[in-house]
Amino acid sequence: MSKFLSDEPAGDKPVSGKAVSDEPVSGGESAGGHVRHDFAPEHTPRMEWAKLAPDVYKAMWQLEKAARQGLDPALYHLVKIRASQINHCAFCLDMHTKDALAEGESVERIVQLSAWEESKHFYTRKEIAAIELTEAVTVLTEGFVPDEVYGRAAKEFEEAELAQLIAAITTINAWNRFSVATRKVPGHYRPAAARS
Amino acid sequence: MRPYPRTTELPTEFRESMQALSAAAKRGLGDGTLAELVMIRASQINRCAFCLDMHLTLARKAGESADRLDLLGTWEETTGTYTDRERAALALTEAVTELTTTGFVPDEVYATAAAHFDDRELAHLIGVITAINSWNRLMVARRIQPGGPAWT
Repeated sequence: MSKFLSDEPAGDKPVSGKAVSDEPVSGGESAGGHVRHDFAPEHTPRMEWAKLAPDVYKAMWQLEKAARQGLDPALYHLVKIRASQINHCAFCLDMHTKDALAEGESVERIVQLSAWEESKHFYTRKEIAAIELTEAVTVLTEGFVPDEVYGRAAKEFEEAELAQLIAAITTINAWNRFSVATRKVPGHYRPAAARS
Repeated sequence: MRPYPRTTELPTEFRESMQALSAAAKRGLGDGTLAELVMIRASQINRCAFCLDMHLTLARKAGESADRLDLLGTWEETTGTYTDRERAALALTEAVTELTTTGFVPDEVYATAAAHFDDRELAHLIGVITAINSWNRLMVARRIQPGGPAWT
């Protein structure tokens, strides 16, 4: 992002005359790179659903905690990123790519994820099976979860772990729905590792 | 029918969180009749046999009319069967359910829903839509049959 911004001095050109972020940013780089005046203006969220439905928000966090139990964090990030790509969730992509990078995931594996079928040598067999299952469980509108896909996942994951994986895929799909429906704004997320 | 046996497992803590999510969303929406219509429509789109069976049964037991259940898949073509509020909710249900095909949630769909529901109701309606989408995924992935068992 900083390379991209180097075309033009950053920091002194607010978009549409308003502050680009209300969060502190480091290194003179604004969140999301929204400092360029030729970028489209940032949208505003449709609503603050977490404040309007705090019980629902709390349940979502319980769900999140229950979903990630026992799953390899690197695998979990890949699942979250792939589902968010398919569901076109900008906010979730912002969050989970940053989290993955902060925890040591490689840029290459994130970049290749949407073309994983042609870049299988970037991933373990287990990861590929999980990504494939993620796609099938995310795209239900085009028809069920094929036996072959389920079968490959069942070969790589023990039953309890597979149930946990299905729970994880379901959970990111739920976050995707809240964020897309309420149009949460991407670009301002900072992973815990970078905040501390 | 079951060339590959599928798991019926669902982690207990996860299942309980799902139940809390559904309950909180439905409670906040405060309209059980509408919640069932939304859950049936999402289950149709996601082709969840278990969820369709369950929510059609619940709706019938709650006194929903055969007409309104039969025509739900073609609600857009009906007049006088569903209220404008229900129609707004059904359109939002479809948009939030079909994220992969239609892309995003169109402004018109959201605005129409926002005209019929206050912010708090709308947040919970999105919660109901998300909750049933989650149950759909859990049941379809494990190929849970109508009538269950839904988990072990």
